Amino acid sequence: MLRIDEGSTRHWLLRLLGFAVITFIVVWVPTQMSSSRIGQFTDAFILMIAAMSLNLVLGFTGQISIGHSAFFGIGGYTAAILIKDHGWSPGYTFYAAAVVAFVVGCVVALPALRIRGIYLALVTLAVAVLFPTLVRWKKLAWLTDGSKGMDSVRYEDVPVWPILGELKGREGRAVFMFWLGLIVVVATYLVCRGIVKSRFGRALVAIRDNETAAAVMGVNLTTTKVLVFGVSAALCALGGVLSTLKSGVITPDGQYVTLLGSIVFLLVMIVGGAGTLWGPIIGGLVYVWLDNTTRDIGTSDSGILGALFGWADQSPATLILGLVLVVIMFAAPYGLVGLAKRLGRKVVVIVPRPVGSSTPR
Amino acid sequence: MSLLEVRALSAGYGPVEVLHGIDLDVDHGEMVVILGANGAGKTTTMRAVSGMIGRSGSVTFDGVDITRTNAEKLVGMGIAHVPQGRGTFPDLTVMDNLRVGAYARSGGIAADIDRWFAVFPRLAERRDQRAGSLSGGEQQMLAIARALMSHPKLLLCDEPSLGLAPLITQEVFEVLKKLNADEGLSVLLVEQNANLALKVAQRVYLLETGTVVASGSAAQIASDDAIRKAYLGA
Ligand SMILES: Nc1ncnc2c1ncn2[C@@H]1O[C@H](COP(=O)(O)OP(=O)(O)O)[C@@H](O)[C@H]1O
Ligand SMILES: [Mg+2]
Repeated sequence: MLRIDEGSTRHWLLRLLGFAVITFIVVWVPTQMSSSRIGQFTDAFILMIAAMSLNLVLGFTGQISIGHSAFFGIGGYTAAILIKDHGWSPGYTFYAAAVVAFVVGCVVALPALRIRGIYLALVTLAVAVLFPTLVRWKKLAWLTDGSKGMDSVRYEDVPVWPILGELKGREGRAVFMFWLGLIVVVATYLVCRGIVKSRFGRALVAIRDNETAAAVMGVNLTTTKVLVFGVSAALCALGGVLSTLKSGVITPDGQYVTLLGSIVFLLVMIVGGAGTLWGPIIGGLVYVWLDNTTRDIGTSDSGILGALFGWADQSPATLILGLVLVVIMFAAPYGLVGLAKRLGRKVVVIVPRPVGSSTPR
Repeated sequence: MSLLEVRALSAGYGPVEVLHGIDLDVDHGEMVVILGANGAGKTTTMRAVSGMIGRSGSVTFDGVDITRTNAEKLVGMGIAHVPQGRGTFPDLTVMDNLRVGAYARSGGIAADIDRWFAVFPRLAERRDQRAGSLSGGEQQMLAIARALMSHPKLLLCDEPSLGLAPLITQEVFEVLKKLNADEGLSVLLVEQNANLALKVAQRVYLLETGTVVASGSAAQIASDDAIRKAYLGA
């Protein structure tokens, strides 16, 4: 077993190595892989963003939300409406979607956060169910185009970024969406990290650990919860914008816009590791990988898997992931990141700085 | 005028009234203990004073009427509450628990942390450990240190001895006594262990089903035969 002092040269080298591996993968995927494979990574990015946003509320603050599919949908629809009806350039819709979702998130949170536990779950559930209904509503059809949804919501021509070279056609679009997605993932990660490591972030964990004790420490429960809900909704909306720009369409029963989306976000977050910064990122990769590798299972009637899942006319990915989730809950209650940390500790131990050296000498 | 003046305080949970009009004072620099059987309403009294639950009657702190002031504001005004069962944040480190304790203010936080680490050296050794991994005694120390981070004028301390070994309890009480004597910190203490509490406190209130049934100096209460029989088990 390797013991490395926190902040030592070797610790920095280890971090550098991790960074190099990630950078390598990130560059390798869009330059060497097929455009459908690249698209799968973008799908993973979309899920990472949504799961990271949910993680702020549920993983770090302990407030359950089954309503995040609605914020995701709000993001997608804000982008679609601004691009189609108001001629916005797609890039700017990220900001607008975040603002709209922030406001809606705060408004939803105000009454919802006066209640707790199962009741909060029910209120957010209602939000998730209400959103697609609202979008379909005839009186709103002028805005949302009702059940048929909106299409051709995408970059007419992919913007030219000198660093990427010239991007053309389907392939070019896939590569561009990959980089755009990556930027949003990194931005979301940095926002989450900044929040979690701040005074505000400590208040969130304090609320999760012991709400009443947090209150008597001077943490304003309502303000804190409403704010984190708003920020979370805003981040989730970014995922919605990305998803809409990638597929070019959004409908009231589109991917992740319905209640099912909220469930998927939950799965991704929990499988990866709730309350950890990297959990949703790992969860997103694992989910998309499982989704794609299991998609063809059952389409051929041969073999054990065919016998097991042949009856299903849809991808059993969610079912399999559900089973994996159950297994993980037993094997790794803190998700894959928690498991990795535990296993990793058998190989490398980062020794914290000794007492009294918290300030540099 | 006393630091804390509670008059005709009623409080409870929803439709249930637990406290039926309590009068209680804590003077500047005084250590006052509330004694009473399980379920008498001691914890409810503490919660009502720190603004965690709704209350009626009047509560005055440092000359200001705080009957309608909420818990977050009261921290800034100088009331710190160490809840029953300690209420440390298990997933935060010792350091971060202390930082949350200073949530209501800013500036000089690092210096304060060092100061309380000097008083509680065992916390210093465990500064980067999760609070959940501390022993019961260490968690109680942390809960007290965390409350002190807000620069309170009045410390509410709810059954610090709960679930602690006698030796550790002693240690906790030593610290409270020292804070009271050396720093002039006013303390309102809830305790089941009457013998111990009477040694450190100056004045006593006896609580019975939400009503104050007796009060007086620690010496008076300790020497009252009827009270000794009923409450001190001797
Ligand atoms: N959160 C609560 N909700 C409803 N009733 C409560 C709650 N906490 C305490 N009570 C009731 O209030 C009464 C007084 O409790 P408490 O103040 O905790 O007593 P003590 O601290 O003296 O043991 C008890 O009858 C208890 O059942
Ligand atoms: Mg009690």
